[in-house]
Amino acid sequence: MVNLETSDLSLVVSDVSGQKVFNVSNAPADGTVGELISELLGRMDLPRNDPGGAPLTYQARVEREGRHLNATERIGDALEPGDKLTLQPNIDAGRSC
Amino acid sequence: MLSPTHHFALALFRPGGSYLGTVPAKLDFGPAHEWTRFRFQRRGELPLDGDSTARVLPLWNRDIGEPYCRGYRVEIPRDGEQPLSADFPLIHFGEVAKLAASLFVEKGLLVEGDQYSYRLLAFPAENDPPKPGGITVSNASPGLPARDGSLDTLRAWATPVGVEDCDDMPVFVSRQVLREAEEQTLAQRGTETGGILFGNLWRDTDSGEIFAEVTAQIPAEHTHGTEVKLTFTAQTWAAVDAALRLRGLGECYLGYYHSHPVHVWCAKCEPEKQKTCRLAKTFFSSDDEAVMRAAFPRAYSIALVVNDTAFGISFSMFGNREGQLQPRGYYVMED
Repeated sequence: MVNLETSDLSLVVSDVSGQKVFNVSNAPADGTVGELISELLGRMDLPRNDPGGAPLTYQARVEREGRHLNATERIGDALEPGDKLTLQPNIDAGRSC
Repeated sequence: MLSPTHHFALALFRPGGSYLGTVPAKLDFGPAHEWTRFRFQRRGELPLDGDSTARVLPLWNRDIGEPYCRGYRVEIPRDGEQPLSADFPLIHFGEVAKLAASLFVEKGLLVEGDQYSYRLLAFPAENDPPKPGGITVSNASPGLPARDGSLDTLRAWATPVGVEDCDDMPVFVSRQVLREAEEQTLAQRGTETGGILFGNLWRDTDSGEIFAEVTAQIPAEHTHGTEVKLTFTAQTWAAVDAALRLRGLGECYLGYYHSHPVHVWCAKCEPEKQKTCRLAKTFFSSDDEAVMRAAFPRAYSIALVVNDTAFGISFSMFGNREGQLQPRGYYVMED
């Protein structure tokens, strides 16, 4: 039986359109969802900042529950092995001139 | 995945040639990488489901040599064969140079509006050893979801719009999609609105060319629109995904559209100017580009802008050409 109190998790993570999909191993159960997202942005080559340099906010949506996870949730509490996540940004289109 | 072989930097100079300083130059090589890979996939020289590993290499200046560059190269390795590559010009660093110049303005070394020149430099990157422990990732991205089809069949009953560039993948948009985008724009007149574009990718059975067919648009809900901005939220993407799944037609994400309320932006100009103004025709802001980068990174993705001008509605399409989002032509499939 997997002890999710301390074990690391394997996940499948995609971007909004599913054009990028990554298998993730060893996601630390004691880490937070926010820390996971921050780490994955770099690994998945997703932009961290908007053109003005302000950080973009991404939310992770877990397919199993159909909800957006809170950044402060503990990975071991919120996720199960094999969960599929989508990283969805709050992002502006607009006249940045 | 892109492997860095060098760090890039920009040396800036005043008009007389006096040296201002050198700053690190971070360019997003993702679009150039995506375009390079897609270019060779379209030519049949890379498989549609191949690995996306590539290197970025400096192209040394032919006159003054290393460490000065005339541009950069994206190189894609192939097992047992010569790598495939595409070269990109120095001008790609233009926006990075502008940012660097603004730093020198802040330091008082340049005055706002001063001209400057720049040179690109590259220095070998030292690869940091991998950190022990920590998460590991492997790329499981799907290959191009292209099915066999006939380009000639679609061309036969489609109307070309704009300039067709042979470097661009042919894109066909249904008249119904344009009609719905126009209706959405007029329903929210004065503020930016938009939606997501879906459809199919095809591979022509005769030539092997990849082409896209935009079959549907889903209005973006849970957005915040103003006359100069449209915010897509996490809830927007979730709702769109649910709608796509409900359709159940096996369509893929092809990009997005949004409106530009030009008649509001240009209210103080002579209305006649909206016929030729860049804002009404070929304007795609860095924020507009950022949405593509974050949500639709593949080079086959396209963006449609609905220009709402004093003279009515027009459409502009943008796509990745040579590593940059540029205006492009397309075909309209009549009902």
